[in-house]
Amino acid sequence: MKVQESKFIQDTKPLLVRLLDRLLERYPYASVLAEDSRTRVYSVSRRNMSVGEGDLGTSRGFVAKVSDGKHYTEYSFNRISEETLDVVCARIGELAAASGQVLPEGLTESEYPVPEEEAAAFTGSTSYEIDPRELGDDAILAHLNAVKEKGLAVSDRLLDCRVRCEYQRYTKLFLSREKTMEQNVMWMDGMIAFGAARGEEIKSYYKTYSNLGGAEMLSRMDADVETAAGVTLELLESEPIPPGEYDCVCAPEVTGMIVHEAFGHGVEMDMFVKKRALAEQFVGEYVASELVTMHDGASAASEVASYFFDDEGTAAHDTVVIEKGVLKSGISDLQSALTLGTQPTGNGRRESFRRKAYTRMTNTFFEGGTDTVEEMIASIKYGFLLENPSSGMEDPKNWGIQAMVNIAREIRDGKLTGKIFSPIVLTGYVPDLLKSISMMSENVALSGSGMCGKGYKEWVKVSDGGPYIKAKVRLG
Amino acid sequence: MIEQIEAVLRQLNIELYRITEQVQESVECFFIRKRLDLKRGTDLTDYAVTVFRAFEKETPQGKEKQLGSSVVNIYPGMAGEEIREALAQAYQAAALVCNAYYELNAGKREAFVPAGGSLAGQSLEETVRQMAEALYAPDTSSKVFINSAEIFAQRVVRRIVNSRGVDVSFETYSVSGEYVVQCVEPQDVETHHQFAYRDADTAALRKSVEEALAVTRARAEAKNPPKAGTYTILLSAEQMRIVLGYYMKRASTGLVYQKYSNYEIGTAAQGQDIQGDALTIYLKAKDPYSAEGIPMKDRLLLEEGTVRTLHGGSRFAYYLGVEPTGEYSCISVPTGSRTMEELKAGPYLHIVSFSDFQMDELTGHFAGEIRLAFLYDGKTVTPVTGGSVNGSILETQGHMTFSTERYQDERYEGPYAVRIEGVQVAGA
Repeated sequence: MKVQESKFIQDTKPLLVRLLDRLLERYPYASVLAEDSRTRVYSVSRRNMSVGEGDLGTSRGFVAKVSDGKHYTEYSFNRISEETLDVVCARIGELAAASGQVLPEGLTESEYPVPEEEAAAFTGSTSYEIDPRELGDDAILAHLNAVKEKGLAVSDRLLDCRVRCEYQRYTKLFLSREKTMEQNVMWMDGMIAFGAARGEEIKSYYKTYSNLGGAEMLSRMDADVETAAGVTLELLESEPIPPGEYDCVCAPEVTGMIVHEAFGHGVEMDMFVKKRALAEQFVGEYVASELVTMHDGASAASEVASYFFDDEGTAAHDTVVIEKGVLKSGISDLQSALTLGTQPTGNGRRESFRRKAYTRMTNTFFEGGTDTVEEMIASIKYGFLLENPSSGMEDPKNWGIQAMVNIAREIRDGKLTGKIFSPIVLTGYVPDLLKSISMMSENVALSGSGMCGKGYKEWVKVSDGGPYIKAKVRLG
Repeated sequence: MIEQIEAVLRQLNIELYRITEQVQESVECFFIRKRLDLKRGTDLTDYAVTVFRAFEKETPQGKEKQLGSSVVNIYPGMAGEEIREALAQAYQAAALVCNAYYELNAGKREAFVPAGGSLAGQSLEETVRQMAEALYAPDTSSKVFINSAEIFAQRVVRRIVNSRGVDVSFETYSVSGEYVVQCVEPQDVETHHQFAYRDADTAALRKSVEEALAVTRARAEAKNPPKAGTYTILLSAEQMRIVLGYYMKRASTGLVYQKYSNYEIGTAAQGQDIQGDALTIYLKAKDPYSAEGIPMKDRLLLEEGTVRTLHGGSRFAYYLGVEPTGEYSCISVPTGSRTMEELKAGPYLHIVSFSDFQMDELTGHFAGEIRLAFLYDGKTVTPVTGGSVNGSILETQGHMTFSTERYQDERYEGPYAVRIEGVQVAGA
């Protein structure tokens, strides 16, 4: 089944076309992005339940962007009618002319060319098997409750089991002089999270799920809830890790965090424009082991960050960022590409129509290799199997890594000993880590349950992942 | 619009509800070096409606009274039928949400609370101009400078209405943003900084930038990580909010009710054996009303290490039998017992910049990668970078000593620094 278009967007489109025409009479470049996005979030736990629209991802409104030939101005708004069209045009005019009011002495304005557009008319929808709206709130909550009860039944030592899922269904319409593009997309994600008390300390573990599609994802949540409960209980016996550099096998979700945080942010080309990314100086050079090939793109995988065009009307790409260890290309939004004289790669994304577009990752991952996980573990004299990442932070300028990982399973003489260390801080220098990759498993897994920020804000949906990898990692 | 929504709620026989109207306007400027890269404006009106539904549920212990709820967003321009459909769906969903019964906060129509302060008396454009001027004033060197910056000037008017008579409204002005400082010699490094003010505090921003330039200059001198081991560490400035925010989060009624926190009124939060400073913390009200329309005021959270207030909204307060206080995001802490000079007695590692310093309120673990620290080995002070801190507040909270020097930002006012003994550091 295909995701249906938004009636609101269709009803409003004639008015938006008139707005665009009015803006194009005055400015050499103008575009309008309209968004109608709805999320629905379900959550159950031992003592709490909720269902309703989510804060992030639920929005309906418009952003107009204009260029006077040199300078860009944007205006986000969510009221439009025949009566307010003049007001919207007037406000955009005021903002475009406001540089003198906002600039103190000594500061100037950047100058950009007007983008050259190729004509494009497009309408596309992603697919799903089960429509969560048709399935209904009752059935979804019943499913989550059943998973929760199954989890809590594993042990009285479990403090709680929180099971949640969320779907987003959105329609976006992009209009400019040469482009009329519309897309209808739906994704769904979910999480099972356990907590268990060790004195005042609450140990937690989670398992995530995601798909580009609908409620067909829910059936996967049943399968490993008991295993997840068991890992939470194992964590009650964990201890802090002795700091040091170790041979490690990273599970796909940890690989994903390394791909995303350690390298992905560093090839966002708005960072090249600001001279904030070391990667700009390494294009064409080895930055990783020859085993490593890395992709990013909304069309590079079928996951939660897949779409047909970005928020600036650029078609989705599959960008090969690293090919056999050599840095080939960054990813780019439109305005950065205008500055750098490169082609945009369909990575201009907004948190919503309310916010600015930046260069953002989409589906980011390493290709698979030829090794097995068993071979990788067997090859380690003393080290760890890293699982269950919780957060990470980018450092494009200096290629530092910070990633929090929940579990390090001890490997001694090629075998897992059953001993667990937690929590873990993974740090290091990106090229050192990527060049140390010596083995990669065949299968690639992507996960899209999280959101990615630019610094500490601008949250967008992304997926990341890869195979199991063996590398040298500093843990603390 | 609120009247239109209430009319539909009456038609649907929805007796319990809360409506939040938010009208926001902003002017936003994005800079690369000393050039304005993009200017933006927003004019947004949003309505969030929470509908509640009381019902009884059969349990092995008999019938239990429940109160379910569901949130839906209503947008300007929505047709009457679309609003009706959205609210009806939310009301249907509320019947599926089996939460123990509680009572919504009651109130009455209160006078609109206008924003005070200097931001209220000027245009958003003028606010951006003043803050940009302050931001760039100390940027006079070609070796260490502001790489890029974002400034957001905002006016928000919020009105909260519920079915138990609450009808409150207030206005806030704010200016916030972030900036990146780059130093190109002897190595090319950067640091990331944020700011947020409710007043046109140009002096505070200027001082913050001057400090950021100095920190970044020091980071450019730092080359090596500290040796791995156990250290006496000093944390300071914005890290203080993260460390002490642990106690604010642990004292939230939501965590307590769900048994993620063992706090009660009278709990010895810092443990029984406090060798360092006993903590007193106040919750600071930043807005006149909470998200539910509960009047907010400053409250005593911890007194000499003992929990005095559990804070949160009406639901979890009802369950726990405590006064609903609304949600807090700012704490105030009295001055500590030692000067910075005294805190620096003996070897220490003063971490002034992390990649992303984190405190987990469930486990009590704090951790982060070190971007810049000053290591004093008893003889010399050396700037270091790299490695990470991994500690537990549960293990160290009895041995924390705070500075007499003060620090203030939008969510914290209190001692500038804390000295914590026996923290594990991963390094060279």
